[in-house]
Amino acid sequence: MSLDVSSREPVELLSTRDRTLDAVDKSNRLSSTKTGGKMVAEYWENIFTAKERGKHVVWYNGTALNPIFQAAGLEWCHGEAFSARLAAMHLEGPAQAAGEEYGYIGELCSYARTHLGCAVMTQKGITEKQNGIVGMVDQEELASKLPSPDFFVNAYAGCSTGQQWDAMTYRVFGKEFPIFNVSLPMIWGNKKDAGYLRGSEWEKTPLYVEEQLKKLIEFIEYQTKRPFDWDALSENMFYIKRASELRLEAMALCAAAPTPATYWDWVASIAPINFMPANQALVDYFQGVKDEIQYRLDNTISAVQNEKYRVYFDGIMNWNKLGWLTRKFAEYDVAVVAGRYTHDSFWQEPQLIDLDRPLLGMAQHYLICPINHGLKIMEELLIKRCDEYGIDGIAFHSTRTCRAMTNPQHILARTAETERGIKSFFFEGDVADAAFYKDESLESGLVAMLESIDMQRSRALV
Amino acid sequence: MAESGAANWFVMGVDLGSTTAKVAIVDAAGAMVGSKIVQMGAVSREAVRVAMESALEDAGITQDDIVRTISTGYGRKLVPSDKTFTEITCHARGAAALFPGVRLVIDIGGQDSKAIAVDSDGLVDRFAMNDRCASGTGRFFDVLSRALEVPIGEVGDLAMAGSNELEVSSMCATFAETEVISLLAQGAETADIAASVHKAVAARTLGLVAQVGKASPVVMTGGVAKNRALVHFLSEALRLPIEMLDEPQIAGAYGAAIIAREEHLGNVALAAADDATATQFAAGLADAVPHCADCDGQLGLHTNHGPVPVTIATRPMVGARSGGREL
Amino acid sequence: MLDENAFATQDAFATLAVAATDPVGYAQSWKARTGRLVIGSFPMNFPSELTHATGALPVIIQESRTTITEGRSLLPEFYCSYTRSLADQAAVGELDVFDAFVLADHCVQLLGAVDVIRWAKPQIPTHFAQFISSMDDPWSQGQVIDKIASLRVEVEEIVGTTITPEALAHSIRLYNENRRLLREFYDLRKAGRVRITASQMQTLVKSSMVMDIEEHTALLRDILADLESRAGEPGQDATGSLVRIHLSGHFCAPPRPELLDVIEECGALVINDDLYHGFRYISTDVPEDVDPFDALALWYLDRNISAPCGTRVQRNVDWDSYLIGSLDESGADGVITLMAKFCEPLMLYYPELKKALDGHDIPVLLIETEHEGVAVESVRTRVETFVERIRRNKTAVPAVASGPILATN
Repeated sequence: MSLDVSSREPVELLSTRDRTLDAVDKSNRLSSTKTGGKMVAEYWENIFTAKERGKHVVWYNGTALNPIFQAAGLEWCHGEAFSARLAAMHLEGPAQAAGEEYGYIGELCSYARTHLGCAVMTQKGITEKQNGIVGMVDQEELASKLPSPDFFVNAYAGCSTGQQWDAMTYRVFGKEFPIFNVSLPMIWGNKKDAGYLRGSEWEKTPLYVEEQLKKLIEFIEYQTKRPFDWDALSENMFYIKRASELRLEAMALCAAAPTPATYWDWVASIAPINFMPANQALVDYFQGVKDEIQYRLDNTISAVQNEKYRVYFDGIMNWNKLGWLTRKFAEYDVAVVAGRYTHDSFWQEPQLIDLDRPLLGMAQHYLICPINHGLKIMEELLIKRCDEYGIDGIAFHSTRTCRAMTNPQHILARTAETERGIKSFFFEGDVADAAFYKDESLESGLVAMLESIDMQRSRALV
Repeated sequence: MAESGAANWFVMGVDLGSTTAKVAIVDAAGAMVGSKIVQMGAVSREAVRVAMESALEDAGITQDDIVRTISTGYGRKLVPSDKTFTEITCHARGAAALFPGVRLVIDIGGQDSKAIAVDSDGLVDRFAMNDRCASGTGRFFDVLSRALEVPIGEVGDLAMAGSNELEVSSMCATFAETEVISLLAQGAETADIAASVHKAVAARTLGLVAQVGKASPVVMTGGVAKNRALVHFLSEALRLPIEMLDEPQIAGAYGAAIIAREEHLGNVALAAADDATATQFAAGLADAVPHCADCDGQLGLHTNHGPVPVTIATRPMVGARSGGREL
Repeated sequence: MLDENAFATQDAFATLAVAATDPVGYAQSWKARTGRLVIGSFPMNFPSELTHATGALPVIIQESRTTITEGRSLLPEFYCSYTRSLADQAAVGELDVFDAFVLADHCVQLLGAVDVIRWAKPQIPTHFAQFISSMDDPWSQGQVIDKIASLRVEVEEIVGTTITPEALAHSIRLYNENRRLLREFYDLRKAGRVRITASQMQTLVKSSMVMDIEEHTALLRDILADLESRAGEPGQDATGSLVRIHLSGHFCAPPRPELLDVIEECGALVINDDLYHGFRYISTDVPEDVDPFDALALWYLDRNISAPCGTRVQRNVDWDSYLIGSLDESGADGVITLMAKFCEPLMLYYPELKKALDGHDIPVLLIETEHEGVAVESVRTRVETFVERIRRNKTAVPAVASGPILATN
């Protein structure tokens, strides 16, 4: 061992090129979801020409009222869905810029801000047409292509921003088009008998909402000058119920380890379950997803190359980073198996739907939107999911502009730890505004959590 | 000085952070035999090079004597090492080694802060990080130093002399800078301003600690731990004494070196490389967690599983009944 | 110069100021004095009269001046200052004086905060009955009446009493009287007959939210009598340099008094507002000629017509038109909108307000506020610039108060 400094080799640091930052993609996404992607793309292309085709267009957000709109012969435009789409395609910039110019501050819910930006652009388009101005708004921007509304329907459970958002879009269009507000009370869950899908509050509240939906239908009849087609509503709910059942069956298959599909695959299926027309194609799509998952299970093909950890994703989806997150978690051998947004938000209790009385089951679904519950029920749901899927750790997406999805997170983290010893980490991001997101913060937090899970496991062996 | 002879071997921990590079060298017995802290520009390779060479010299050994290197910190991927670990894990291990029995580790660095709740074995229980925003980090003191025109090493002493409790926004360092200037314009004493900025950082840190839960003993790691004013205000805010380390900045590198030593000794049970350990491991896990009653966690026996346990997918677990490795 | 009456006024005002600055302290001493219960409500729509009719002290829970620390373990940082303060107060025990919490609102952040408070303080009953936020539907009134009936049951149970219509009617009269008195202060200020600073006006209103209402009314009467006895006719402002400002925004929690003082140090004279800790709170009385329980529901609906709120949805009223009308009436030269950081209802509505004000050539300045600290220099710069801009464009010399000042030492 020479102490002669001069004879020592200089320490060579690896160049960043050698230490590759492009890790191998260890994720294995479903291919059947591509069909859904195509369906959704066609849906939006089609709706852009709704006014030219002489259709009535309804703008709405939040709850899935589309079966009602479909039965009424309307074309429906879900604002959040469009914001999500823009963000996922990295095309949210122009809409957010338009919103900012109009006066919306960057800390506002970025879903609302993006969609309001689209509203501003669409509305400008109308004004230009009326005034014969050409070219002020670039009609090639995807964000400006939404057809103008004939009326608005607001039905947003749990989040006041969601409710106020439609009221503001109504004003962006100069209060020219009518708006209808469906009141969706929060399930406070104070009484001793309160719990998920049970208790006296649960018995009463859906009945109130059912009445609200009937009033909505009266409003639609008045707007469209047509009697509502109740048979069509039952038929639509038939398809949605079936599609939902298939989706849930497919999700249940992911309790297997290693999982054949991940949360990211379910995210890709949100648009179909949330607002695609209710028909056989929708059912076929989810049948296809289930079939692919079953095939993978039978042939031990896993969604993550080397599943070592099973993680639950709590919070709303980070749409700008879908691809990146899929690869990043897989890189660390993490299968994100389930999440609150995908598993607890869209037609998740199809057995409630009675085709002879569809409105009640629909009302119940609108009330079980996960942001419409108090903490007690949220804790119950989280533990249930963690048990179902054998969860090791939870990634809490601390969404900068979404207060509705983030308020219970610190309590939920504690509950998961005390009830099940499950570790968690928080990372800041946002639903549609990439500026609030930082890759390093996610990576440090994720890896630190995995390291502590490793320590936990090694001790379980001793 | 390092021992000579084949019985001894050495490991290295490298902590490449946002403002400093730190290296610790630990021998086979687990003692720290060399270390170096280098202050240079952000995430600097030059700093790592200098730190490594100096630490080796300090230990009286060469790079050839190092059997394993673990890197940590923001720049951990730039360092040639066998493996990386997050600074959360490393600071916890380092602090626990430097102060056995510690239950709460607070690390306030140049650009980020961490609160780590540590269990009785010195392993990470819960953690919270604040690296999105400069408030509550060492950046605040840079701002203060600049605005008050006082060297950064003296802001702590200045704060200790301050008595008034002026209010400084603890949300944003840039915002705080404007406030400091405005307080100066109003004629406030520099000592009082310094004191209030330190209080603000302490308040932010308390918020971070609240996320993991207060516990005692408390140890601070990172450069800011050397600021006695901050330690004083934080201790007051926490209503707990804060134990001082001789060299708080080395905790991360030291923790990384400890992990390197453990790995070299094969004590850390991660995905096993051989059958015997894998089988034993899987058997152990089957007892530790609830499992689908019908199949005992082995896929392929039947397809209609109840919830199947989480297992580390040591390759034999997946699919192949023959014990083969591929997925 | 101040006369003897002014000293009485100073004492009265000091009492109000103490309660406004330390509402928890006031509640604690009231409890010790009377042996009765204290029920905390959250802003902005729960009718205090309902609690008052049970004999308990109704307190609208305020933002605390305490730096937020432990509350960080309950709510993230991107919640508005008020809700973050609530969480912190719960975490450090500042809410322990309350025997129950009640809530009738729908703001997602407030609901989230109250939900974590309920989790953190399970021994304090927390009751919630969400008033419909869509105000002009045919079923709106019926729904609110229903919710008031539920809340009635809850508060009756907490206190262990029954609220008779007579008791409620009496409480309503007391609160109406208090609001009327406070409106008189507003009228005097608007007319330029008395000079009351924005932070003083906040003290008057805020203390009414946390004190025994009869105690408060008595003190108001003393102060008002003194002022009226000395109030003059609107005089001419010698310099013509003060700019008349309307303060807008800040739901739920009050802007810091230091901020208000800084604004008025920059050559602005606050003559009116539509803050919650201001005109919004006192704008509307509960009807006294109908069933008192129904009257509370009517009050909720009426209030959104007399002072439309961005948090409610109503087609036939607009906050912007209301604001413009109010500016006409008061003769204000411009608007300063105070926006609490992360307040979504205000962030959502603000562009409409700005659009309307710009359309009428009314100058508007936006100042964002936070829980911790006021960036004094930055505010000063902005307000002074704003005031200079307005001065340059003003032609007429306004009638500004040279009358008696509300002297509070």
